[in-house]
Amino acid sequence: MTHYAEDDLILYYYGEGRKRVEIERHLDECGACAATYRDIAGTLAIVTEPELPERGDQYGLEVWQRIRHKLPEQDVPWWMLWFRGERLMLVGAAAALVLAAFVAGRYWPRQQAATVASGPAPTAPSAATTDGATAQRQRILLTSVADHLDRSERMLTDIMNTSDHRDISTEQRWAEDLLTTSRLYRQDAADIGEQSVASVLDDLERSLLEIVHSRPQISAADLEQIRRRIDAAALLFKVRMLSDELRQRENAPAPSATPRTSTRKIG
Amino acid sequence: MTDATEASAVLARARQGDGEAFRALVERHSRSVFRLAYRMTGNEQDAEDVVQESFLRAYRQLGRFESRANFGTWLYRIVANCSVDLMRAKQARHDQARGESLDAANEMPAAQTPGPERLAESAEIERRVRQALGALSPLERAAFTLRHYEGRSIDEIGKTLGLGTSAAKHSVFRAVKKLRMALQPLRSE
Repeated sequence: MTHYAEDDLILYYYGEGRKRVEIERHLDECGACAATYRDIAGTLAIVTEPELPERGDQYGLEVWQRIRHKLPEQDVPWWMLWFRGERLMLVGAAAALVLAAFVAGRYWPRQQAATVASGPAPTAPSAATTDGATAQRQRILLTSVADHLDRSERMLTDIMNTSDHRDISTEQRWAEDLLTTSRLYRQDAADIGEQSVASVLDDLERSLLEIVHSRPQISAADLEQIRRRIDAAALLFKVRMLSDELRQRENAPAPSATPRTSTRKIG
Repeated sequence: MTDATEASAVLARARQGDGEAFRALVERHSRSVFRLAYRMTGNEQDAEDVVQESFLRAYRQLGRFESRANFGTWLYRIVANCSVDLMRAKQARHDQARGESLDAANEMPAAQTPGPERLAESAEIERRVRQALGALSPLERAAFTLRHYEGRSIDEIGKTLGLGTSAAKHSVFRAVKKLRMALQPLRSE
């Protein structure tokens, strides 16, 4: 008579395994295997469900409150990056640039040829032209960022001065719009080497996110926490300083051919 | 909007980084996540840590979640694996090879060996079972919990814990053998 291994009997106990009918018949006939099986079943019968500690209806909310400030960046599959809004805008902008370059290329040689025919000094597209375009782009971006910072400052001031126990849904909508814009500007600023601008925008986004993700009927404690974080990061100060700096640069004489990279550390 | 459509809309928004949508998922699944975490770890504080870590891990990995799959099942896997990770970390911290401490579970000091009347008490049985479960390795405990308490098949256990069927099966076997040995004195008294 072939006896069954303990492993087979464990699977049998849990209703798994392929030889169920054979094992059942064998257990009726074999005292040794039946004793082993009784021992397994007896042991597992003792291992009963532990009593679960109660968790109330608000438990989900409690968990959320614990993790909301710890949410990490989401991992994004590489192929999805191309379908994100910001990327699509960048791709669109790149396509527009290529198109503009193509159109310009179609007309540029003719004008140049005309200049050569009529004028004494032939001119080739120079590095200065490219630098000028970069500086122009930088100038436009920094002006837009300064406006953005002014708007953000107004919103943050509103949050800092609002009375406790009130509806902040208006500020949240405002913050949501600012957040979208801020991300785009931060990316552009990083692209052109304006690291200090990108850094302040990054700080700003954290506070905007926190405001957006709060409950509209915010509690005094939550509001206080947001304010403390804004204070701790000296965010209002940084926003004001950066806005002033960008305005000064905006009003400064036209930049030289060398692209300017801000190295001033704010905060 | 049906519940299913709404759930899938919430999930889609959460995958795009919408914190409010993820909050809805957390509120919906927290209790079941805690239940599994508690069964896996057998400890309330550890279970709370697993709940928190599981949701943070889920948020980070949401982009990899396939929308055709079931979010609950996906989250279930994360919780099971977080539990194993936490138990392993705890094991390493305490510098105790609890998976090999089967002997320790059997070697109860004579003075503490309870008499028949005490053994009859369910609290004592529960304590001994808890001790025996605590002596399993993290993987054995996880596989056993999924099989014994959660009623998962060996195949499902393998998929949940990222193991082959054979490895899942042997984890359950080892767990049951260790429990049999550890609880033998209880049954014979």
